[in-house]
Amino acid sequence: MTDAVITDVPRSVSDARAAGRFLLIASTVLLCVWVLVPIYLLIVNTLSSPAEVTGFPKTGIPSFDFGSVQFFLSFAGVARALWNSVLVAVLTMVLSIGLGAPAGYALSRFDFPGKEAFRLLVVMTRAFPLPLLALPLAVMFIRVGLDDTALGLAIVHTVLAIPFAVLITFSLFSGIPIELEEAAWTLGCNRWQAFRKVVLPLVLPGIAASAVFAFTISWNEVFAAAVMTIENRTLTAFLIQSLNVSPLHLKFAGGAALVIPALIFIFAVRKYLFAMWGIANR
Amino acid sequence: MKNQSRLLLAGALAAAMTATATVAASAQVLFWSTQASPIEETQAMRENVLAGFEGGVDFQPQEVGPFVTRLEAELEAGSGSIGIVGALHGELSTYADSWADLSDVDLGGVEVNETFLELGKLGTDQQLYIPWMQANYVMAANRQALEYLPEGADINALTYEQLVDWMEVLATETGSPKFGFPAGPQGLKHRFFQGFLLPSYTGSTVTKFRSAEAETAWNTFKELWQYTNPASTNYAFMQEQLLNGDVWVAFDHVARLADAFNQRPDDFVAFPAPSGPAGRGFMPVLAGIAVPQGAPDIEQSKALVAYMMQPETQVATLLATNFYPVTDAPLPDDLPPSAQALGEAISTMTGGEDALPALLPVGLGDLGGQFNQVYTDTFERIVLANQDVRAVLDEQGNALASLMEQANAPCWIPDEPSEGPCPVE
Repeated sequence: MTDAVITDVPRSVSDARAAGRFLLIASTVLLCVWVLVPIYLLIVNTLSSPAEVTGFPKTGIPSFDFGSVQFFLSFAGVARALWNSVLVAVLTMVLSIGLGAPAGYALSRFDFPGKEAFRLLVVMTRAFPLPLLALPLAVMFIRVGLDDTALGLAIVHTVLAIPFAVLITFSLFSGIPIELEEAAWTLGCNRWQAFRKVVLPLVLPGIAASAVFAFTISWNEVFAAAVMTIENRTLTAFLIQSLNVSPLHLKFAGGAALVIPALIFIFAVRKYLFAMWGIANR
Repeated sequence: MKNQSRLLLAGALAAAMTATATVAASAQVLFWSTQASPIEETQAMRENVLAGFEGGVDFQPQEVGPFVTRLEAELEAGSGSIGIVGALHGELSTYADSWADLSDVDLGGVEVNETFLELGKLGTDQQLYIPWMQANYVMAANRQALEYLPEGADINALTYEQLVDWMEVLATETGSPKFGFPAGPQGLKHRFFQGFLLPSYTGSTVTKFRSAEAETAWNTFKELWQYTNPASTNYAFMQEQLLNGDVWVAFDHVARLADAFNQRPDDFVAFPAPSGPAGRGFMPVLAGIAVPQGAPDIEQSKALVAYMMQPETQVATLLATNFYPVTDAPLPDDLPPSAQALGEAISTMTGGEDALPALLPVGLGDLGGQFNQVYTDTFERIVLANQDVRAVLDEQGNALASLMEQANAPCWIPDEPSEGPCPVE
């Protein structure tokens, strides 16, 4: 009888906490591995000689052979394409927030006829495959002279990015109680001032995050970029098509050339991304 | 926050300004190409082939999708920036109406292959494109594999049966299948069926698609597939698998094998594709250059066409892309290992007594993709899905016949000439 009592002692709280901790650490490690291992492999192979890239078994340690990297740096037009990519992505970012954020604000604050239809239509812009749209767009762009300009391409990318911009900012503005704005109005602000001094500071991190989305959408887009630009190629249009049919070691080097600038950008704006999830300044 | 938005605004302004500033186009000729798209070939085209052209060339290789879309957009808009187009015969034949006549280009005494020149007329009396370069498909093997070659078999006169036997020995002795076939999404598998396997057995690409001989051909290939590395459905460039040892024997386009020979010239041999009862079927690849009627500066484009045909340019093109000259350009003695080994295999294959050339589809226009799909589907159903060969050939034969009627395309070599669309018996 007494034995049974002894075996039936409840597990101490610290046990459960330890198990929880283990689970937390294990999932953290898993997530990190998930993200870091591909990047690690990409970098190792970029810094290896062609023979090591195709060879087996792998050592997993880079030999710091800069042949592939050097080939890339000397490949005519990479630097220019990189600049074009950044340019188009920034323009896309500005345009899609400039157009998307007011739309998001209107959707969350005002009732107007056709509101639901508008929300649907915004998403519909993503329903048509780009290869289908690219031909008429390219014809039109050639005629109006937008062809082969960063601005022209940014307009196309903005169309792709705008649904995200509108829907993200819509939910951001909806998350700010209208009472805050009303309070500002009673204290003497007009609509614009209330927006600028009360709402904007609260949603800015979120807007920055949706701007990052717009940036990455533009950065990753290939087809329109390949059709709409010739002299002013973006990096993806410039590289991906060639990489697709290139030897393995150059695929890795090109992959790194595409990933690293994006990583640097994300790293630079990480503060805003974290802010969106409410863990700023940690 | 104020600073940030100001910064953002300034950035946008600066960006918009540079965007308008870069509109000013340069006077270079834009060379729009589906060929030489692998990045090393692109580099070599720019630095070693086109750098010598006065006025400069902007060489832009493309995948077929964006290539066609951009081209169509410019043709529709009636103006554009493309100065010269380099593509395969089949791609160029789609836009026959849009090319300028190149009959008056002065090639400076260069002799161009007559057959190819005739193809460049696309059935009209104008020279719509000028043949640019040619290639072919061959077999390549790791030297280790030669030790397992069955007795009496000569790699330069191999039959499909001998190839199957050889691969069987190789698979049993080494413990894993060692044949490689570019059956991936980017692989050129359809050309093997159209130009090699079927002609070798039936002497035809289209007409005898459903014949008993075709059935034998597919059954032989099915047998070969047992000794083929199953990862072949992901392969596109056999040079990679030859280099990393995944496969020891492979079939592919010469440009997609060259890297193996250049990296380890002593380890690999190139040899002709096998032969069948009807002969040694092979498919020469022909690329041509054309000038769109709406090109910004037609005279400059024509000058570039003439430049591309000069002996030195043709040899430089061979070194850059592994495509061979279509002119009488003399080849230098110090060719790289790939050009030597592959060139030898090609001339053995094309010069043999049993040589049976099968041309790329002619007259299909934009149905070329669907034509290829018939052969790819047949392969997938018979070999990958293991369906009944007879039934699949009957069904796909119907698809092929209706395609021929839709295109109203008469037979081309190796099929017997036909009146009206090429029949599928």
